Amino acid sequence: MTRDRTPDSHDFPTRRYDLVKEFVITLVVVLVASLGLAAIFSSPDEKPITMSAWANADPNNLVTTAASELAGTTTSATYGAPYNSNSEGQKLGPIPLQKWGGVRIPIDSADLVLGPLSNTTNDPAVSSAVAAWKAAAPEQQTKWAADYVDAIGAAAADGEAATGAGGDPANVAAGDYGPVPALSAGLLALAKTGGLEGALDSAGNFYGGDTTKSLLLLADGAYLEDQAVAQNLAGDQWGMMNEVGNAPGQPWMWLYTFWYQIKPFSTSDNADVEVWALMMLLTLLLMFLPFIPGLRTIPRWIPVHRLIWRNYYRRSAGRP
Amino acid sequence: MTTSTGAKSAAETTDPGNWTNRLRGRIEGLVPPGEALPDRQPIYVASWIYVFGVLTLSSLAVVILSGCVLAVGGVQWWHVSSLGHYVNSVHLWSVELFFGFMVIHLWGKFWMAAWRGKRAMTWVSGVLLFGISIGTSFTGFLSQTNFSAQWIAGEGKDGINSTGAGAFFNVLNPGQMLLWHVVLLPLVVVLIVLIHIIQVRRHGVVPPLDADLEG
Amino acid sequence: MMKSLSIVAEGPGRYIHWGVIQISVANLVIIVAMIILFVLALIVPFPSGHDEETDQERRQK
Repeated sequence: MTRDRTPDSHDFPTRRYDLVKEFVITLVVVLVASLGLAAIFSSPDEKPITMSAWANADPNNLVTTAASELAGTTTSATYGAPYNSNSEGQKLGPIPLQKWGGVRIPIDSADLVLGPLSNTTNDPAVSSAVAAWKAAAPEQQTKWAADYVDAIGAAAADGEAATGAGGDPANVAAGDYGPVPALSAGLLALAKTGGLEGALDSAGNFYGGDTTKSLLLLADGAYLEDQAVAQNLAGDQWGMMNEVGNAPGQPWMWLYTFWYQIKPFSTSDNADVEVWALMMLLTLLLMFLPFIPGLRTIPRWIPVHRLIWRNYYRRSAGRP
Repeated sequence: MTTSTGAKSAAETTDPGNWTNRLRGRIEGLVPPGEALPDRQPIYVASWIYVFGVLTLSSLAVVILSGCVLAVGGVQWWHVSSLGHYVNSVHLWSVELFFGFMVIHLWGKFWMAAWRGKRAMTWVSGVLLFGISIGTSFTGFLSQTNFSAQWIAGEGKDGINSTGAGAFFNVLNPGQMLLWHVVLLPLVVVLIVLIHIIQVRRHGVVPPLDADLEG
Repeated sequence: MMKSLSIVAEGPGRYIHWGVIQISVANLVIIVAMIILFVLALIVPFPSGHDEETDQERRQK
């Protein structure tokens, strides 16, 4: 585009226009539309998953997750910043943005199991298991837990044969797992009482406003994800723009969630930071579009404006 | 930052060393005299597409209003009260309307190339509002204290953490997210909306492409 | 109060699959409604539109 020769809007002939009336009418229209849509379509409110619901619906998964936290093999245990230093985290090319944020919310994944059991148990078997764990060397602890996780194994799925005891802790082969079976069973028992969330989030401070630990433990298990996948909410199901049931979600996230469906992002270990960077770039392009040659000329090439201002153009053309 | 007549008259008739006078001059100069709430518009302002900006503004008003009613009852109220649930539904649907109208407004302004004539910063503030509004709705979804909030937090943390921002903005902490949702981000949104509207009134509605006053 | 009418929030979600695209019916309805509104805004005549003279033109006569 050449020099901007847009005339001053105040130099044009005018006609009556009531801005305040326009605002009041649209306010009434939007208010009535919101009240009506809410009455007809309501809004979804599916109850949160509780630890006891997880423990009752999928006890084997909770036991396996507890053992995996002790073994240090869960998602949160191997996360990196901001929870721990156990991995580099995601990188944007060579740039370790995640690591640069720092470990500002320190979480020791074994504490997700040991913390609640140390503070709340009145079961002597669990108390002695905690004591036995704490007395052991770190290498011994990891070996016990890793061996127990392997022994539990997983059920056959996606064409893969079952491993270990097929995912059932009740059928594990005999072996030296130290206190890990007792600790995992203890966490399951505590979860069933309904006291695990409180033990994780409000132990020692009364107010349980911060659910970081509960959510990390819940997300390390399979139960939460199973529920979400059943509702089309997973990342590879365009889940970012979806809601439970038939409710509308966040349709404005269509582009953000789209990138996760295609390569290279769908197979990248750094997909989150890569998609974020791409969306930041696209947002900046949109934001500074008025300064970008070519893009800013599209409205001239595709003359939708001829339709918008058709009366004005007709009037100008008719002028002598 | 001052334009033509408004600032000048204030400065000429009063002591320029007076901070109050200078602030008044600044405020008066933001928009040309009579253009803040004019009862006339240029002849070319005659299309339904012009209504979507004010529809977005009206939706924001309903969003804030319904949010305030939810705030009266507290965080968990809408789970246990049918009235609370209804108000939550109004909040959700006004947000859907808000985003729908805002995006149509953006489409309209794009095809009008409405950034012409020194209006680029109006476009920039509008796109900024779109982005911050998405962030505000994200914190709202995280503040629901239900299954959706659990799942969105679990997924959202990976996105935020991957950028390094998760160290300061913990999506797993609903207390922090709620305060961002009801205090910090709404303040920013309302502030930028005010700037956006002042920018629109300051420059007036963009004339049609190739409009020629001499013609 | 509103439970009987909450036809959207209840029941399993309906989804449309089309190649890589996967979208809920609710989101699709919203996007289609937006496009329809946009097109209508462009083509439906604005009231007191083209036939009305501006006051200035009236004064000039």
